[in-house]
Amino acid sequence: MTDASRMIAPVRRPSWLPTGLIRLVDTPLNATLTLLVAAVLVWAVPPLARWAVFDAAVLPATPETCRAAAGACWSFVIAKHSQILFGIYPLDERWRPALVCLGLLALLAWSVRPSAWRPRLGVIWLVMLLAIQILMGGGVLGLTPVPTAEWGGLPVTLILTVVAIGGGFPLAVLLALGRRSDLPAIRTLCTVFVEATRALPLLSILFIASIMLPLMVPEALLPDKLMRALIALLLFAAAYMAEVIRGGLQAVPKGQYEAAAALGLGYWRTQRLVVLPQAIAISIPALTNTIIVMIKNTSLVLVVGLFDLISSGKAALADPAWSSPAIETYVFISAIYFVLCFGFGRFAEAMERRNKASRP
Amino acid sequence: MALADLVMARTPPSTRRASAWLLQGLAVAAALGALALVAVTTLENLRARGLPLGLDFLVERAGFSVAETVLPFSPEDIALWAIAVGVVNTLFVSAIVCVGSTGLGLLLGIARLSENPLVARLAQVWVEGVRNTPPILLLIFIYTLWSQALPPEAVLQLGPATLTMRGLTVPALNAAGQATLTPELATILLGLTLYTTGFVAEIVRGGIQSVPRGQWEAARALGLGYAQTLHLVIIPQTLRAILPPMTSQYINIVKNSTLALAVGYTDFLTIMGTLINTSSHAVEGTLIIVAVYLAINLSISAALNLYNRRVALRER
Repeated sequence: MTDASRMIAPVRRPSWLPTGLIRLVDTPLNATLTLLVAAVLVWAVPPLARWAVFDAAVLPATPETCRAAAGACWSFVIAKHSQILFGIYPLDERWRPALVCLGLLALLAWSVRPSAWRPRLGVIWLVMLLAIQILMGGGVLGLTPVPTAEWGGLPVTLILTVVAIGGGFPLAVLLALGRRSDLPAIRTLCTVFVEATRALPLLSILFIASIMLPLMVPEALLPDKLMRALIALLLFAAAYMAEVIRGGLQAVPKGQYEAAAALGLGYWRTQRLVVLPQAIAISIPALTNTIIVMIKNTSLVLVVGLFDLISSGKAALADPAWSSPAIETYVFISAIYFVLCFGFGRFAEAMERRNKASRP
Repeated sequence: MALADLVMARTPPSTRRASAWLLQGLAVAAALGALALVAVTTLENLRARGLPLGLDFLVERAGFSVAETVLPFSPEDIALWAIAVGVVNTLFVSAIVCVGSTGLGLLLGIARLSENPLVARLAQVWVEGVRNTPPILLLIFIYTLWSQALPPEAVLQLGPATLTMRGLTVPALNAAGQATLTPELATILLGLTLYTTGFVAEIVRGGIQSVPRGQWEAARALGLGYAQTLHLVIIPQTLRAILPPMTSQYINIVKNSTLALAVGYTDFLTIMGTLINTSSHAVEGTLIIVAVYLAINLSISAALNLYNRRVALRER
């Protein structure tokens, strides 16, 4: 072997070392970075681990356990998890909101599979919404009535998300079609609505809905607090989803429209049979992003006095028997949001991959 | 099958045009009708409650105090000035968060692509963390941390700066001889910056990955090092790809600055809320809220579009 060929040949690495480990130290820059990061980790991780694990109070879940421990008070989260998750919903009836949460999550997971996109999906959604109303509100089938003022926690978060997404979707499709319409008046109306909604912070929309609706709507038709927030979230979700679907519509090749016209299909049949199925399939990954954003956005309803996950956590903290371990409670709530959003994102990604793989 | 289908498919063009006009006329009439209904109901409700419409309240004494402002403000000032003070507070927070998260996001985006697995993993934890939790929770969390970590009497000396429960005090050249960063302002600045940085990092990562591999190889062939390659070759090309998504991030920052409400920093929306409560001019207040956010966000997108046109590739 000549000297020249040795220079070009890659440096031989011991084959038993994974490349990841070698990359930690293979250049001066990487070695410095590794040292820096390791120093930060050594400084930060032990005290955190002591607080969260070794010095933490866990069982029995009583205030005394927490007072005796120097670290995190997980006993509080264990003792209060039901109140944080379901708010002030009557104790004996909490299986109902729990069932609603599971149902809503299943519905979301079911709906992001492209193969679920058939007309019967709309029927499934309507049945689900009816079931939620019956389960949460009661009053029929021998269930104790529970007014919306007593709904709280995770079910409120999920109901707001899922109903805003599901109800906003048909509106979003119409808005997206309207924005691409040849009819100038309809195009303008849709564009103004979508752009104005997207330029306003959600908090201001919720705020306006809570102060303006009582003025704008006749007293008899005035929706309750939950409905007001729901209407605001629904319109907000519709505007964002409309933009996503518009992107999908733009990605459908022009030949598809022309082919549909050649077959003699009218506008609505072209959209329904040819264009929308393709456009929506293209937009599903972006739509799942919007769903994750909406899950996070519902946390803002606490500002207009609705009892979502964060407010029910705050309410649980008000118990004077405990030393109000706020950090632990917020870590618990963050973990719930993280599992919901991250899990949903990963699930949708897997669906997308499977869908791609199965396509010829 | 929709009626419109029948009309559209089986009729001569002139009738089709007429039906298109009919459809538009109906849509406009429906929109105007709904608007008129809302207007009539609102006016009726206002009259029933004895609330007059008008903008006179804007030049009356505001009558409320604001804890923390960039511009000087007292309850004796007029309401219009209170609104201006709120707008400046919102712009102040947004501007600092924009600058902070752009710089940090650039670093984090590069770190996310680092060959060093430790660095790349940590960056990924940050990005996934903020993308999957609500920003309001992050703000409440930081605010709680601040008040729990610092007992009221504790004083931390950080060089020339002093950290206490009441804020971070930095000796400066203003009237009082020092500037105090209150926990509220510090929380909204820190929280929004940490949050937005995660999103900027993803945009930067996407931008860097959109630069063709050949550019890296060409830079290496020229003998440029990693930092030089990034600085001279990759980043300038990345800029074109990331400007449009960055524009929407900047608009998001302005929108997210309303979360100041959750930690008690007074922004524009909070001031409008107070003003509407004290003056009972809900309709006018609402219109002002809409107008101000539209103006801020449309200006941002117009300014960045102008800049975008300047850096865009001119293909001949």
